[in-house]
Amino acid sequence: MDARLRRVNKEIADCKNDKASGIKIELIDESPFHLKGIFPGPEGTPYAGGTFLVDIIIPESYPFQPVKMKFITKVYHPNVSSASGAICLDILKDAWSPVLTLKSTLISLQSLLCSPEPNDPQDAEVAKHFTTSKGSFEDTATYWTQIYAGGPGKKGVSTASSGDGKDEVAMAGLEKAHVDQFEALGFQRGKVIDVLRRLNYRGKNVTQISEDRVVEELLK
Amino acid sequence: MSDYSLSDDDYYNDEDMFDITQDDDDMNMDDYTEDFKVDTNSKRKSYEIEYESLNQPAVEKLMQQDVAYIIGILGVDSSIAARLLRHSSWNKERLIEKYMDNPNTILVAAGVTAPEPPSVTSPIRTHIGDRRTTRSASKIISTLSSSSKTSSKASSSSYQPAQTRLKAERFVCPICYDDSSDLQTASLDCDHLFCTGCWTTYITSKIRDEAEHCIRCMAEGCCLVAPDTFIQSALAGEGEPTWARFQELLVRHFVSCNPNLKYCPHPGCTNTVSCPAAASKSSLTTVVPAVSCGARGIPGSPEALTSAVAAKEHYFCFGCPIDSDHRPVVCSVAKMWLKKCADDSETANWIKSNTKECPKCQSTIEKNGGCNHMTCKKCKHEFCWVCMGPWSEHGTSWYSCNRYEEKSGTDARDAQSKSRASLERYLHYYNRWANHEQSAKLSLDLYAKTEKKMEDMQITSSLTWIEVQFMKKAVEEADKCRMTLKWTYAMAYYLARGNEKELFEDNQRDLEQAVEELAELLEQPIEADAIPTLRQKVTDKTVYVHKRNEIVLEDTANGFLEGRWKWNARVEGFDEPDQADLV
Ligand SMILES: [Zn+2]
Ligand SMILES: [Zn+2]
Ligand SMILES: [Zn+2]
Ligand SMILES: [Zn+2]
Ligand SMILES: [Zn+2]
Ligand SMILES: [Zn+2]
Repeated sequence: MDARLRRVNKEIADCKNDKASGIKIELIDESPFHLKGIFPGPEGTPYAGGTFLVDIIIPESYPFQPVKMKFITKVYHPNVSSASGAICLDILKDAWSPVLTLKSTLISLQSLLCSPEPNDPQDAEVAKHFTTSKGSFEDTATYWTQIYAGGPGKKGVSTASSGDGKDEVAMAGLEKAHVDQFEALGFQRGKVIDVLRRLNYRGKNVTQISEDRVVEELLK
Repeated sequence: MSDYSLSDDDYYNDEDMFDITQDDDDMNMDDYTEDFKVDTNSKRKSYEIEYESLNQPAVEKLMQQDVAYIIGILGVDSSIAARLLRHSSWNKERLIEKYMDNPNTILVAAGVTAPEPPSVTSPIRTHIGDRRTTRSASKIISTLSSSSKTSSKASSSSYQPAQTRLKAERFVCPICYDDSSDLQTASLDCDHLFCTGCWTTYITSKIRDEAEHCIRCMAEGCCLVAPDTFIQSALAGEGEPTWARFQELLVRHFVSCNPNLKYCPHPGCTNTVSCPAAASKSSLTTVVPAVSCGARGIPGSPEALTSAVAAKEHYFCFGCPIDSDHRPVVCSVAKMWLKKCADDSETANWIKSNTKECPKCQSTIEKNGGCNHMTCKKCKHEFCWVCMGPWSEHGTSWYSCNRYEEKSGTDARDAQSKSRASLERYLHYYNRWANHEQSAKLSLDLYAKTEKKMEDMQITSSLTWIEVQFMKKAVEEADKCRMTLKWTYAMAYYLARGNEKELFEDNQRDLEQAVEELAELLEQPIEADAIPTLRQKVTDKTVYVHKRNEIVLEDTANGFLEGRWKWNARVEGFDEPDQADLV
C-alpha cells in the first residue's frame, strides 16, 4: 500500500479511538486525502462553545510537505482570514515536521484560538481591532462564534438581532451609536459600517479619527 | 564618425571568418570555452567588460577553498565548516568573528549542534547501514577528508548503531509507522531516529520540491542540519540525480552570496560568471556588463549540437535580471523601459501583430521574414513595415525612419492632446523596439529553412561545405545588430533632446539601414550558380554591418564613461535631469 495512504488511514483510526481530545476527522468525499477536521472552541476564550470545521487537503508528498488546512467555519481571529478562512501558523509552513499529525495540527489550531499572534496577522483589520481594543474584539469574536459556530453568545447581548439573525454592526465589531451617527448624515448604513470597520473606529481610536476624516472616506 | 575602414578589421577577414565557422562544426562545450577565452583575452573595447566564465566544478573549487580556509582557522571538520559557511552566507570574516566571540552560539544557529549540552561539539553519527556510510563520498568531501581526519573534534566514539541499541523494544518509525524488524534507521546528532526510507523521501522532497539546501532534522522543533555525507548516503543509488541537484543548489547559494558572481539565468545551464568590475551598484551607470557563460542552447538537448544559430550563446546582463545582452543601454534605463512596456502592454499590443494592411490598396499583408521592405502582392506598392511610409524614401540621407519628430509645444495645448502626443511618442519607440525583436526571430526562422536548402545544394552542386556557410555568419551578425538596435530605441526614448541625441540617432539610423540591406540580401532566392556573387555581397555587407554595430556600441559606451548622456526623466544613479528636458 502507498505509504501516504497507510499513514493517513492510521491517523484517522487513531483519532477515532481517542475520544478524550474532542478532535474528529471525517471524510468529505471518497478521497482519503480531502478531509474535514472538527474541534470545539477552547474554554475561557470567545470561541468557547463553538464547533469549528477545518478543510484538510493532504498533498502528494505528505507527511514530508505540510498538510493544507483552512477554516470552513468563519472565525474572527487575527491569524485567520475573516474572508477565506486561510490560516497563518508556522507549523503549516516552515516549521512543519513530518512527525506532526493531522490531530496534533488540529490541536495547534485549537491553541492558536487561545493565543492570537497579532504581530504576525493573516487578517490585518482584525489584528488592528485586537490591538486597539481587546474587549470589543472579544465581543465580536464571541458574536461570530455564536452566529457561525453555534456558540452560546454573550449573555444579554445581541438577542435582539432580527431578520436573518445577523447584526451587521456587531459582526463588524462596531458600536451602534457610531453607525447611527453617520447614517443620520445621509449615508447608507452598509457603507458606514464598511468605512468605520476599515478605519478601525473603535475604542480610543474614536477620539483620534475626526468626523471629517470619516466623512471624507464615506464620500469616496 | 567615418574614420573606420573595412580593410583594417582583421577579425572579419574571410579567413578568420571561416576558421570560426569550422570550429562550430565539431561543436562542444570545450570549444566554446576556448572561443570565449580567446574573446576575452583579446584587447577589450570600451563596450566590453572583463569577466570570466566558470563551470560548476570551478565554482565548487572556490567553495572548497573557503571551506579549507575555515578548517585551518577554526580547527573544525569539513562538514562543520561547510555548514557554518552556508549559515554565514559565505562571509568568512563575519563567521570567524562570531565563532571567536562564542563558538556555541553560531554552532547552534548553523544547526551543527543542539542547544544542549552547550560545551561539546560532537561529530555527526549516521545510522544508515555501515556499507552505505563508507561509500566513497563526493568530490568535495574526498578532497577534504584529510583535513577532517586531523580535526581535533572528530571522533567516532559515540557512534552507535541504532539497531543494536533499540533491539529490546521494537522500533516504530514515527513517520511511516513501519515496525518491521529489519527496518533500517538513521538519525543526526540529536538521536531523533527515523527509518532510512522516510529520510530519503524527506530529503528528496526538500531538494526537489523546495530547492532547499539546508535540510533540518525531521523531528518537530529540532534545528540540526544534516551534513552532506548524511544526505549523500540517503540519496545513494536511485537518488543520484537528486544528489547532483543538491550540489547544484549549494553552488547556486554560494554564487548568490558573492556579489562578484552570477549564475547563468538560461534554463538548464549550470555555469557561473565572475565579473568583479560590475559588482558594485555604482559601476552600473558607466558600464553595461553584458556577459556570456560560454555555453549555447539548452544543455543536453540535441539542438545544441545541430543548429548553431538556434542554439544561441548564453548572453545575459551581470548587473540586472535581464537575461539577454541589453547593450548599449545601461541597466537602470533598460529596467525603466521594460517597466514602461509592461505597464502599457495593452495599448501597444496591436503593434506586435504579424499582419498589416497595405497603405495603398488595404489588402492584408503578412510579414514572414526579417526584412522591413514590403511589397504588396496585389498592387506592387513598396513600403516600410515599421512606419508604413513609401520605401522609396528610405535609404536616402534625409529620410529617417528611426527619429521621432517632436511636435512643437503649441500642438499640445490641452491635456488630452498632450497625453495623445506622449502615447504617440512612446509608440514610435516601442514600434521599432518590438519590430527588431520580431525581425530577429523571423530571420532565424528563415535561416533554418535556408540552411537546409544550402546543405542540399552542397550535395547537388560542386560547392564545398565552407562555401555555403557564409549565410550563418550573416544571420548571426544581423541578429546581434538587431538586438543592439532594439535597445537603442529604449535609450533614445529617454535621451534628452539635443545634439548628443541627434548624433546617437545618426549612428542608429546608419546601423539600421545597413541591417535592413543585409536582411534584404538574406531573403533573396538562392540559386546554385549565383552563390559566388551572393556570397561576396553578403560577406561585404556583413563586414560593414559589424563595423556599424561597433560604432554604435563604442560611441554609446564612451558616452557613459564620459557622462555625456542626459536624460528626459529621472534615472536611478544619474544626476537629476534639467527641468527643461523633462517630458
Ligand atoms: Zn519511516
Ligand atoms: Zn533532531
Ligand atoms: Zn549558460
Ligand atoms: Zn543590465
Ligand atoms: Zn497593395
Ligand atoms: Zn520606415
